[in-house]
Amino acid sequence: MKALMKRLPKISMHAFLIVSVLITIFPFVWVAMMGTHSRSEIFSSPPPFYFGSRLLENYEKLLDIMPFWLVLGNSLMVSIIGTAVTVLFCSMCAYGFFAYEFRGKNVVFGVMVASMMVPPVLTLIPFFLTVKFLGLLDTHAAIWLPLAANAMGIFLIRQYMVTSISRDLLDAAKVDGASDFRTYWTVVLPLIKPALATLGIVTFIALWNNFLLPLIVISSPDKYVLTLALRSLQSVANTPWGAVMLGTFLSMIPLLVAFLFFSKQMMAGLTAGAVKG
Amino acid sequence: MTLTTTPNEERGTQMRAPARRRSTLRIWKKRLMPWLFISPFIILFMVFTLFPLLFSIYLSFQEWNPVAGLSSMEYVGLYNYQLALTDPWLWKSLYNTVWLAVVSGIPQHLLAIPVAYMLVSAVRGRLRHLYTATMFIPFITSTVAVALIFFSIYSTNAGILNQWLLALSNLPVLSWFFSWVQDAMPIRWLTSSDLLKPSIAMVVIWKYTGFNIVVYSAGFLTVSRDLYDAAKVDGCSRWQQFWHVALPMIRPFIFFAVTLTIIGNLQLFEEPYVLTQGESGGVAQSGLTASYYLYLVGWQWLEMGAAAAISWILFLFIAIATGVHFYFNGRKGLGEDR
Amino acid sequence: MKKYLLAGLATAALMGASAQAGDLRFDGFPDFDSHLEVLIPQFQESHPDINITYQMNQHADHHRRLTTNLATGSGAGDVVVVDVSFVGSFINAGGFENLSAPEYGADLMQENFVSYAWDQGKGTDGNQYAIPVDIGPGVMYYRRDIAESVGSSIEDVIKSWDSYIEYGRKLKEKDVYLIADAAEVAQLIIYTTVKEGEGFYFDEDGKPLVTSDRFVHAFTVAKQIREEGLDAQVRAWTNEWYDGFKNGTVATQLSGAWLLGHLQNWMAPETAGLWGVSNLPDGIYGSWGGSFLAIPKQAKNKKDAWEFIKYLTSTPEAQLAGLKNIGSFPVLTETYSDASFDEPLEFLAGQKARKLFAEVAQKVPAVAPRQGDLIADDIVLRAALLEVLNDGKDIEAALRDAERLIKRRVK
Repeated sequence: MKALMKRLPKISMHAFLIVSVLITIFPFVWVAMMGTHSRSEIFSSPPPFYFGSRLLENYEKLLDIMPFWLVLGNSLMVSIIGTAVTVLFCSMCAYGFFAYEFRGKNVVFGVMVASMMVPPVLTLIPFFLTVKFLGLLDTHAAIWLPLAANAMGIFLIRQYMVTSISRDLLDAAKVDGASDFRTYWTVVLPLIKPALATLGIVTFIALWNNFLLPLIVISSPDKYVLTLALRSLQSVANTPWGAVMLGTFLSMIPLLVAFLFFSKQMMAGLTAGAVKG
Repeated sequence: MTLTTTPNEERGTQMRAPARRRSTLRIWKKRLMPWLFISPFIILFMVFTLFPLLFSIYLSFQEWNPVAGLSSMEYVGLYNYQLALTDPWLWKSLYNTVWLAVVSGIPQHLLAIPVAYMLVSAVRGRLRHLYTATMFIPFITSTVAVALIFFSIYSTNAGILNQWLLALSNLPVLSWFFSWVQDAMPIRWLTSSDLLKPSIAMVVIWKYTGFNIVVYSAGFLTVSRDLYDAAKVDGCSRWQQFWHVALPMIRPFIFFAVTLTIIGNLQLFEEPYVLTQGESGGVAQSGLTASYYLYLVGWQWLEMGAAAAISWILFLFIAIATGVHFYFNGRKGLGEDR
Repeated sequence: MKKYLLAGLATAALMGASAQAGDLRFDGFPDFDSHLEVLIPQFQESHPDINITYQMNQHADHHRRLTTNLATGSGAGDVVVVDVSFVGSFINAGGFENLSAPEYGADLMQENFVSYAWDQGKGTDGNQYAIPVDIGPGVMYYRRDIAESVGSSIEDVIKSWDSYIEYGRKLKEKDVYLIADAAEVAQLIIYTTVKEGEGFYFDEDGKPLVTSDRFVHAFTVAKQIREEGLDAQVRAWTNEWYDGFKNGTVATQLSGAWLLGHLQNWMAPETAGLWGVSNLPDGIYGSWGGSFLAIPKQAKNKKDAWEFIKYLTSTPEAQLAGLKNIGSFPVLTETYSDASFDEPLEFLAGQKARKLFAEVAQKVPAVAPRQGDLIADDIVLRAALLEVLNDGKDIEAALRDAERLIKRRVK
């Protein structure tokens, strides 16, 4: 009895976590299930909460209505390149804000935070003009480049540096004669892996799920990304929902893989954390 | 963030004073260094963000139907602002925005912080991976799928939510607690003006809590084991460890995540938009947020100038909220006391 | 050697240039893709040098993209689809080619088209900017078995709104709803009982009409249906809407001709033979949806674009193919004498419904769209009407508030 009492907190914690997991995994499972039903089955009520028999049919339909794997490849390319560049740029900028005191720093930082606050719905038209002016229309770069040094990423990494890197460490590196860039690259970056991983996964998802920019900048069907291609199949009345849901489900899998990859990097923080304290 | 140079740097420049030419070069290099590091932001900001910003400021003083092309703008002075500020729908939408920001914002953090702490401090290895990954799923689900799923959940007669509530009210033990359900049925989650906002808030909480869990996990991971061990030696309970050791350490993360929630929630658009099927914010505009309204005015009603004015009013609103947050929490949150 | 190479390059450049001239892009939304897939090869039989690609986007996305393209003067296709709800605000803004101009000569085609649809593509200056490509003549779909079970003849039901509501009361005793959503009745009355010379929401001087009898009547009928519990309070395109059709819990649906294909193919295929179509109640004629084709001024290949538009809209074979492929109803009156219009439709228990659709199409009154219609739509149909129906707001008050809001926005 006493043993049970002692384990009660642990048991209730896991119970709580499992309930949360059930609530959050629900849509994933449901999307998977919808991908195995026909449209009329999906829209019966109550909707079927079990796996159906139309998986192959939906898959054939999906390949028939869009070059699924080509488009998936485009999405992968945009997300991978974009994530790599974003993580590099944001960590550089964050280091600039973290490690130096300089005239104008407050102003730039303020402008940066303020730039997050402008509602994005409206800047679409001038953004299109900019992209056109730069000759980037109908290129993938127009999707990932604009946000490659974004305020959220810089802010996140700066905050991580504040908690995990001590001034002494930077000074020590300086005394050892390391150049600024070397300090950033070989001393700081390895210590902030969890933050880089966090930013990596968030950026990857944002790029993967972004559809507004692709919608206005991309015009060749062979450059379509997955979100755009899947959305473009929808009409008020006549969407092949079974195939669309299968596509949606398949498009979530790379995200989960990416998450697991980055999540591993995040755990590296356990050792890194020991530096400060 | 003060503008003084650190003592270290001064010492460094003094020591190299004799070699004058080389030292001026060095000073220049030193001055340029931080700008070099933040140059990606500055360049991309100048190229991609600045022009759209200036454009939309300019636009807010014009009357413009975008379909008619750039040349059709007409200067109207402050008319758009005057129109917006006396617009009952704008005030309604700002009220909805704040309501949703608070009701869907606070629970995200109250849930995410303890869950992240549990995951980091008490769950090991694979299992932690599994938990975190699953909780992150809502954040990666595309809006289209989210809309489809929640329409089914909230559906009035056959929806899972109402079905479950009914089932609960029929259970022997719980029936007393859920006796109100029978009278309230059928509950119209998405088509009555009282319930639309809570229904939207539930979706927002469901979707973004996982993101915050990941941010806070990264935060708790920076707290070193030694600190906990020291606390344990001092006889701290688990709760005290959380409250006195871990929480203060992740303050910059809380500051970051809260900033993001404030800004993000005050710009809330997609969830209310899809859950009202884009129908002008649902019954009595009870789901109309400010971003949603400016989308409606600009892209549906084709009055870009008026929409630009609304967007700057919203910007001001967000800036004030963020400013207040920075003023009260910024010193500790930005880590300047460290 | 070098000479040859140069010559080769020159020919390649020449060929490239000529290929460019024949390139055509069509921007639209689904199901136009299924339609084009069939029609492009047919078109190319007579125009082998025109190479056509198409870009589809979801309905709202397509119009958002098109807005951006028109705003910035670049990026639009050579042929673009404009939905009927946007056509009024798009064509009067000056971003499209005037198709009445001599190089196009659209006016010559007018007499072959259903007149109301043709007029919707006309700008306020009297010139044609968009050519209708499909329409949705409005009818009432009803369940024959349900009507029989309560002993009502559909002719009596559609006599007036009173008789329609009376039918609903009879159905209620059998736990069957008259209609899915009462709001649709109000929208229909507002759109179809427009007086000569009025717009949907504004009179000739641009004064809002929303407190006029037409609106009060529309709101009153809808409110009565809602208050007596005769509608299922179910929104269109939701699971419960489809369910009503499948299970026979909803007896009628007011909609366009295109709904037939959806009912038959996936919404309620198992109810084949149980349905019928009739005229709309109260002797009115209306339409649901419809699309137009236009050429943006920025288009690079206007000549071929016009050829393709002419092919899609004014050749009977293309129009009939649309009916066959995607169930879009033809705008070309000469197609109505085609044999397929006499076909009894099995899903409708052998009714020759296409004849009815065609008859309705030719009787729909033309109402010219106006600048503020989109705003008024949102304020009246999606705001005021829902407040009255769902929140029990007083009709007069709701319409007065709506009028005030419209006056503020629309000058």
